[in-house]
Formats: sequence, structure tokens, C-alpha cells
Amino acid sequence: MRHMPQIAHVDVNCFYASAERAFNPSLEGRPVIVLSNNDGCAVTRSPEAKALGIPMGEPWFKLAPRAKQWGLVALSSNYELYGDISARVMELLGRYSAWLEVYSIDEAFLGVKGAPGELLALGRDMKTAVRRNVGVPVCVGIAGTKTLAKLANKWAKNNPAFDGVCHWDSVPAADREALMRRLSVIEIWGVATRLTKRLNALGIHSIHDLSRADPVMIRDRFSVVMMRTVLELQGTPCIPMEEERIGRDQLIFSRSFATPITTAAGMRQVMSVYGQQASARLAKHGLQAKVLTAFAGTSHFNPKDTAYPSVCVPLPMPTADPVLLTKAAHALLPRICEGIRYARAGIMVTDLRPTGNQAPLALFENPHEERHVGTLLEDVTRRYGRGSIGLGHAGIRGGPDWTMKRDMLSPRYTTHWDELPLVKAA
Amino acid sequence: MGVVVGPRVIDAGVSLLSVLISPVPVAAGYPSPAQDYFDGRIDLNEHLIKDITSTYVVRVSGESMEGAGISDGDELIVNRALEPKDGSVVIAVLDGELTIKRLRVTGTGVVLQAENPAYPDILVPSVADLVIWGVATRCLHHV
Repeated sequence: MRHMPQIAHVDVNCFYASAERAFNPSLEGRPVIVLSNNDGCAVTRSPEAKALGIPMGEPWFKLAPRAKQWGLVALSSNYELYGDISARVMELLGRYSAWLEVYSIDEAFLGVKGAPGELLALGRDMKTAVRRNVGVPVCVGIAGTKTLAKLANKWAKNNPAFDGVCHWDSVPAADREALMRRLSVIEIWGVATRLTKRLNALGIHSIHDLSRADPVMIRDRFSVVMMRTVLELQGTPCIPMEEERIGRDQLIFSRSFATPITTAAGMRQVMSVYGQQASARLAKHGLQAKVLTAFAGTSHFNPKDTAYPSVCVPLPMPTADPVLLTKAAHALLPRICEGIRYARAGIMVTDLRPTGNQAPLALFENPHEERHVGTLLEDVTRRYGRGSIGLGHAGIRGGPDWTMKRDMLSPRYTTHWDELPLVKAA
Repeated sequence: MGVVVGPRVIDAGVSLLSVLISPVPVAAGYPSPAQDYFDGRIDLNEHLIKDITSTYVVRVSGESMEGAGISDGDELIVNRALEPKDGSVVIAVLDGELTIKRLRVTGTGVVLQAENPAYPDILVPSVADLVIWGVATRCLHHV
């Protein structure tokens, strides 16, 4: 029997807090929050912290006075750690499907195929493997479309009966409908508060209402994007691969190639292009990045010789510099096996912060920012060949991180030799 | 001149590529006898890390494992995906801390054994009460 392709949506539960707990077991069972850049406000809350009634985005200065009484642990954002844990999770997930889309630092879509029982088993395998190998918990939602897979994942997270894995089509239709009637449209992927109000005005309140709406009417009154959401809720896959996204604290570039790349030299060019694109996009948004993750993957049409290399690179200082970003992206190259047919690749920059925060110390200003050095290098390379021009010590290595307040930073356990986890021999 | 030098090693991120292209200076007109024998340098990652997704490096603090050749300040390569067995050197979670011991699974119970007579063994009521964080595969001992 042939099975239609399905989509698995995998994401790490309370990602930042879980990454911290993986190296600090004493945080297990305690309320933990992770603060945004400059220790501003809570951006991740463990279930125990949620139970205390701490809202998302609550400023730290409001929480600090009661932290001790609550036993609340607050941590600065450790993007070096989160970037590496993310790269490990994505590489591991890539082994389960030759079709992987890294959607954000803590979530991915995978193309999967099989009978319902096989899909459930696959989801459980992925969940177990990520927990065992990397040390963080994930939930898995599997369905015919991305939107439904996201919904299935949300259900898996909130209903202990699923034990973290929900295959949408395996759930009785009556239960699915009951869930969709119960949840507001705001719970659906891609529907924000503003849209919710407009939908409500049309009498569309629940996800079930939206799934029954006329797609053409929705397109005319809203957008093609919203129409796709309706179609996806009805089971028709129509949300394509996205090539660039900017999120709360990350920016991702990824793309499938028309012709597979089989050499490190080819991948080097791709990474150079992405490095520059990321630079331009960061500059446009007035942002700098501190951590870069680069990844590549083979095609789902070629189930043999699958490979999903990825690498996390902490940058020596916050930067939007094309040269520094490109160099960092090149760290993927030693992981590229000559002859393997890579069908896609991407980079993700995280730990973003406004450029304006940088103190105007000329000594630490990056000399490449204004001079288009990256573009120049690419032009020269294109014309005269690889190796015709190279970089010396671009930028400043190990400059002081004086722009960022991270008073409660945990050790960068996996990226800094001086900060390795300590194991007690006592 | 007569000597062509390959692309320069720029930094760790790109050195491998450069090395593979031209490992040794090539004398123009006379081929280097070493050229055909170069097959890449020893890569510790390849030999010491079986699975990049599950391998972590940790640092030892304390002397309780001296008998196993593991000293204070040594670094350990730990694989979280390995199944801990009787005799494995494991990182266990004890009172919220990562602790290194040798795992002994016998008919009568589970023991976390110190490898230094000055330190006590720890009896575990059952395997179910034990959280193993990972299994140490190598010790990077400072000499």
C-alpha cells in the first residue's frame, strides 16, 4: 500500500531552559527562566515558572525582588550553548528523514512516509534519540500539512496521554473536531492578534470555524497567506519552503539547490553568498549577531548517502560584517564530504542585538563594515579563481563583550574549553 | 624561485580544504616524492568522537577516580548515547550534580564505585533510581 507523504514537526520543549538543564541537573523541577538580551525580560519559562504565574516577556526587574522567595532561577541567554544544542538536534533529526527544513533554532519540519503505526514509531524514536543523545526533550506532531503538524505538536505537548508524539490522522475524527472547536484561531500557526480580531468580526472564532471557511473569500478579505492556512487546515499542503525568516532573536537563510553541490569548494561559494546575505539583512534591520549556525543536507529523492552536517560558531564579537559572517559560515566546510550530493544548505544567525548598543570605541569598530570588503572578495574570487585572494586576521579576535549585559550567564559548556561542565570525583 | 606554495592556511575553519589541495610545497619541474602519500592529517574528531550529536567534553574535579587513571583537572570524552554496562565509567546525576563513578551492576544491586580507597562507594537501591548522564569513553590525562 502506498502512503501519502506526511510532515513531522519537531520542537524542543522550553528550549533555552531545557538546554540549561541538560548540563545543570540541579535545575530539574525548579522554576527556571531565561532572560532576553541584556537581561531584559523572561523569554523562556520552565513549566514550574509558568505555574508561578510569570507571564512571557515579564521584565526581570519586576521579578527579581521575589526570585529568592520563589526559588526562581534566572539565567542570561547563553546563545553559544543554545546554538550548539540546536545544531546537534538538527543533525540528529536529519538522520530520520532526507527531507529536513530547519524552521527555527528549536524546531524543524521533516518529510516522512509510512503507515500510521510506522509514523508513530518514527516519532517516538526521534523523541527518544534527541533526549538520549543531546539531552533535551522534544515533542513531535505528524500530519498531512505543516499547519496541522504544528497543531498536532501543540496537542502532543499539552495532552500527557500522547506522551509527546501525536499523529493527527490516527486520532479519532470526533476528537480532532472537538479540539479544533475548543481552540481559538489565535492558536493556529501564522495568525496573530490583529488578524484574530478581523476573523472574529466575520464570525470565525475557533480553528474549526477557520477550517470551514471558504478559501477564496479568505483570500479576498485577507491574503493568500491566510488562504493557504485554511487549505492546510483542510488537509491540502500548500505552505512552501521559506527561504528567509526573521524571528524574535534569529534570522535564517536556507535554500534548495537546482543542481546538487558535491564539493567543499561549491559549498564554500554557497556559504559566502549566505554570509553576505545575512550581513545585508542584519544591517537592514539594524542588528548584529553573536552566534552563527551553518548546515547542509542531502535530498529526499536520494535516500542513500544522507548527510546533515551542521556547525555552531560563536562570533568573536557582535557583528553584521560580511567577512566575519562568511568566515564563520566556512566552518562547515571541513564537515562536507566530497562526492555526497548536498541538495540544500543554510545559515542561521542568533543572539541578535541592535547595532546602536555598541559603544563608539573606534578601537573595536570593525574595519570591514563600511567598505564592502565581502563583496570585493567575492568579485575578485569569481574573476581570478579561488585562492587568488584571502583573508588575514579579519576583525578583532576575542574582543571584550562589553555591549551585552549577561550577569547570570551559565558556562558555555560546549563551545569554550575553559567553561566545560565539571563532573565531581568525590 | 621554482617553488609553488599552495593556498595559505587562513584559519581553522578553512584549513582542511587548503591542506587537501596542496599539502606540501611543490617543486616545479620535479614532483615531490611525498605528494602521492599524503592522505590527510590525523583528525582527533574522527578517532575520538563516534557520534557528534551525543559526544560532550567534561572536566574532572576531585581525586576519587585516581585508580582508573582519571585525575583532578583531566578532561573526559563522554558519549551520552552509549548503554551503561557493568564496569562502565559513568557520569551519574547525584543530588543534582554530575558525578563520575564506575558502575557495578551485580545480582544483589547497583553500586557506584570510587576508584580511590579514600572515597566511599555509593549503593543504589535499583537501576530505576539511577540517572546516568553519559558514559566516559576516553580520558585526556594531563602529563
